[in-house]
Amino acid sequence: MNSAPRQLNLDQWDARYEQLRRDGLREPAYGGPLRRLMVREKDFRLQQLRFDNSPAALRLWNFLLTENQRLHQARAGGHKIVGTMKDLGTVPVMAYALPGLRAFYPDGAWWTPCLMECSDRLLQKAERMGLDASFCPVRAMLPALVDGGHFPRPDLLICSSGAVCDDFSAIAQRLEHLGHAILWWEIPRRRRPASGETACALPGLLAAPKIQVDCVRTELQRVGQALGKLAGKTLDDDCLAAGIRAANQVRRRLDSLRRAVYSAPAAPLPALEMLVAEMLAIHFCSDREETIAVLDDLLAEVQSRARRSQFVIGAEAARIFWVNPVADLRAMNLLEELGGRLCGSDFMFSHALDLIPEDLPPLEALARSALADPMVGPTGDRAARIVRECQAGRAEAVAVSRIPGASHCAREGEIIREIVRREIGIPAIEIEIPPVCDAMLPSLASGLRALVETARSRRTR
Amino acid sequence: MDVFLASPWIPAEWVRAHGLQPRGLWSVENFQCGPWPLSAGVCAFAEAAVRFARERSDSAVIFSTACDQMRRGFDAASLRGQSRLFLFNLPATWQTAAAGQIFRSELERLGQFLLALGGRAPSPELLRREMLLSGATRKRLLDSAAASSPRWFAEAVARFHWDGAFSPPPPAAPATQVPLALLGGPFLAPHWKWLDELEAAGGRVTLNATEMGERSLSPAFDFAAGASHPFDALVRGYCDNIIDVFQRPNTRLYSWLKPRLASRQARGIVLWHFTGCDLWRAEAGTLRETFGLPVLLLEAGAEPGAAPRQLNRLQAFVETLR
Repeated sequence: MNSAPRQLNLDQWDARYEQLRRDGLREPAYGGPLRRLMVREKDFRLQQLRFDNSPAALRLWNFLLTENQRLHQARAGGHKIVGTMKDLGTVPVMAYALPGLRAFYPDGAWWTPCLMECSDRLLQKAERMGLDASFCPVRAMLPALVDGGHFPRPDLLICSSGAVCDDFSAIAQRLEHLGHAILWWEIPRRRRPASGETACALPGLLAAPKIQVDCVRTELQRVGQALGKLAGKTLDDDCLAAGIRAANQVRRRLDSLRRAVYSAPAAPLPALEMLVAEMLAIHFCSDREETIAVLDDLLAEVQSRARRSQFVIGAEAARIFWVNPVADLRAMNLLEELGGRLCGSDFMFSHALDLIPEDLPPLEALARSALADPMVGPTGDRAARIVRECQAGRAEAVAVSRIPGASHCAREGEIIREIVRREIGIPAIEIEIPPVCDAMLPSLASGLRALVETARSRRTR
Repeated sequence: MDVFLASPWIPAEWVRAHGLQPRGLWSVENFQCGPWPLSAGVCAFAEAAVRFARERSDSAVIFSTACDQMRRGFDAASLRGQSRLFLFNLPATWQTAAAGQIFRSELERLGQFLLALGGRAPSPELLRREMLLSGATRKRLLDSAAASSPRWFAEAVARFHWDGAFSPPPPAAPATQVPLALLGGPFLAPHWKWLDELEAAGGRVTLNATEMGERSLSPAFDFAAGASHPFDALVRGYCDNIIDVFQRPNTRLYSWLKPRLASRQARGIVLWHFTGCDLWRAEAGTLRETFGLPVLLLEAGAEPGAAPRQLNRLQAFVETLR
């Protein structure tokens, strides 16, 4: 089944799939050729993407793109569905610690217009509900939840509020006005402890005053009670501690994968697959055990390629650190087509990649993890981590991708770029990527090409 | 020292009790909201606050976390180590003890910041006196709201947020214009001219529910409600009475609006917002559905009054309501 690593388009994957089948490929129940997803789910964007050619990548894509089906099956099997919004990585750890609960992020609907190339008209429907193009594409979540045509309507909706994006908060509030009750919990804007205050260490080399950790712990306790009520079982410390250990299994694998890929002399796995793999951390794509298996496969593939010195993107590619997820997956391919490769990433949920402390009372540990969210703290803290990871990954440039209409993007790019330039003196660019970026490709390409060329030209100095 | 407050929900009484002078940032006479070349999505009000904070090295500026724009505006303003800036964490939730605890601890932290600026530790008596004074002025302003000229009322509220004084707005002449509610974010001095233009177009603001209007006067202190210390009454007086769009859920805003829209006989709502203000803009549909009133979204511009295009829209809106 081994063949030299490369990226394939959907047509090429048809042939590759047949060959793998002939060679005895064994797949999980959700497996199959990628093309069927394009046909059945109307995921037309797949025709424009280039995918890694490994069976491990095939499993990753099949796992990702069958999530709605999995949620419907879970509902049919008697599971309760929890829609958890905005916190990206905290509440699902609690939900999956309880039997009979499946948690997912309706926020993930922001990729639906991209995948379906807007054929589902979710963005237009959102506009009719009062949320026009000046809002982040996550507004697709609103009609997706109201219509119920994509994922099942959750039995419980939970949303973090406080230090969160305005557009997301406004969209969720609109959802509640339309009759979908939401359990709001407070995540205060993280600040550094003042002198004389008791400080708590957070994952990601951060710290927060104890009073903030206490507040978040109290709020998560309230969330835990609601989840326990839904599950019909109390979310006690033992239960939550087991959930944290399981979440950390996912995080450890992702850490190994990121280290193996980002520190390699050339890229053993493409940027797009890395983005998708990292996304698994936030809610395990609705199946925590399967997430572990998917990541094990990917890691084994990467390690095997590294041993054989076989790479998808060559060593001459400019090493780019990428900030923020892209509304159009095509952009990750574009980076590589133009001579770049990922050597690090901050897709807005670095706190979901860090291990949750296992030596603390579990709710306290989770509160600290939630407060380490890069989006709830000062932009300077986020930039400091980016700088550290740029240094670790020997980044030659930074690309900050703007999400159209996202309130955090109005300011953060300017601050991150200034700190990156000041601290490590590498070039940084900010580019806006809409859900379907075809019309913007020339300008996106020229921006990325300039970044890659600038990064390369600095090698000779 | 002047301490500029970027939100009406940061207690001015607390600053004054520390011997410092609180000033509503929006009441600053030369507070400029452009025109500047802004990055896409940047709120002009937040940008103006950032520029103001960077330039006023002789004063302190207190930002709030009420919106992402101001929260990250604080990050931008403090990027080069400005020490006279403070970010006040306003909780978005309000139905839990945790929210009250956040507000209380932030007020205590602000107190430490004010002491570091040279303020004095406030005695309970002094704080109580400041609260009684501001409470009385708020009440007088609220009592005069319905019968006042909209322009004069806006100026009187701005004056209160500037120095705490009460300048009685003159009663409005009997009017036959279409009564409207003005709802939304910061409504600054350069925008007041817009009220005159609205009247010329045949409309009249009978409810000013902008951030600098009647909503900003809602904090009220109940010393008889078991608060043993004026600080407790201050915390409760603000926490229980914040009426704003950023709260989650924001049902208090709607509960506050409902009787007032009825009593002021508003026939339409002008939703006033700055570019990039997602929190207010997203409410347009809900306002229409909840109150059954037409809603006109009006964007704050850099020029005094309304830009010609905005004025045309306003005139057309009023015309349809006649």
